[in-house]
Amino acid sequence: MKIRIIPMLLAAVLLSACSPPQPPQLQQGTLLPDAKIIADFQLTDQNGKPFTRKNLMGKWSFTFFGYTHCPDVCPTSLSMLAQVMKKLEQDKTPGAKPQVVFFSVDPERDTPEVLAQYLPYFNPDFIGVTGDPQQILRLTRQLGILYGKSPGESADDYLVDHSASILLFDPDGNFRALFGTPHDPDRIAQDFVAIRNYYEASR
Amino acid sequence: MKSFLLSLLLCSWSLLACADPAIQVENAWVREAPPGAQMMAAYMTLKNTGSSDVTLENITSPTFRMVMLHKSVIVDGVARMSHQDSLPIPAGTSVALEPGSYHLMMPAPEQRLHSGDLVEFNLQFADGGTVRVQAIVRKKP
Ligand SMILES: [Cu+2]
Repeated sequence: MKIRIIPMLLAAVLLSACSPPQPPQLQQGTLLPDAKIIADFQLTDQNGKPFTRKNLMGKWSFTFFGYTHCPDVCPTSLSMLAQVMKKLEQDKTPGAKPQVVFFSVDPERDTPEVLAQYLPYFNPDFIGVTGDPQQILRLTRQLGILYGKSPGESADDYLVDHSASILLFDPDGNFRALFGTPHDPDRIAQDFVAIRNYYEASR
Repeated sequence: MKSFLLSLLLCSWSLLACADPAIQVENAWVREAPPGAQMMAAYMTLKNTGSSDVTLENITSPTFRMVMLHKSVIVDGVARMSHQDSLPIPAGTSVALEPGSYHLMMPAPEQRLHSGDLVEFNLQFADGGTVRVQAIVRKKP
């Protein structure tokens, strides 16, 4: 009996080594069937330096689209992302640490200076990106991110409706996965590791 | 007159329930704003312990030049804040102002508020009653 099981196990191991890795079962995220390659864009980070598609390459990126005049949903999401980063801190795998990029959908009010003040509060490594409204639109359109002004109490008090999802980019700078609300830091951190392992195994 | 003086005395004692004893406010807090943020949000639970419905109509604060009542909703993945003219609290129920839902929204004051600071809100109800609330500034997700 034992003799028969061993060759079967061996066959199973060999078979699994040859077949392509299976996409992971995610708890919260949605993995895109194919990574989406995005066209280049020209924006600016919180230090006034250019931020383009190249800045999404070489490491994983969690991205969120919001605005600093948003006191409810946006700080909640940014704190949540800070918790995700804390959970991933112990992971010493080379290239494992993702970056977090906050894209402003309110470039009129969110200047690089405002973002430089605002973002380190959540995590000193968070990157804030703003710039030409046309370039922001160029990027968000490719990603299915929606936003638009809605009137507030006065003309300069407007609100901005915006997609609440968190988007994950792989180290090739391609859009890989999406996390809808409500966001849970444990699940997102675990999903991220599963996606990263799958990506590594598929290469 | 005596009872008026007594209630005045009680009011000055307790910041939490005043003039509208049917309404109890619990866990009132203001989210500490990151530097550079122009807007702040406050949260609390409003409990109507009375036997008649009440409606929150207006909020003022000595700390903020304006206090708005908002509700965040996420529809088809898009987050949106909508202004609420009033907030009904049916008899015997409680309504939570909490992140991602109802909240008070205020322009940040010149002097930045820090975790541990106390701020006051005056809640005004449709029946004329008011409740004075003390909220603590907290750093919280
Ligand atoms: Cu609001």
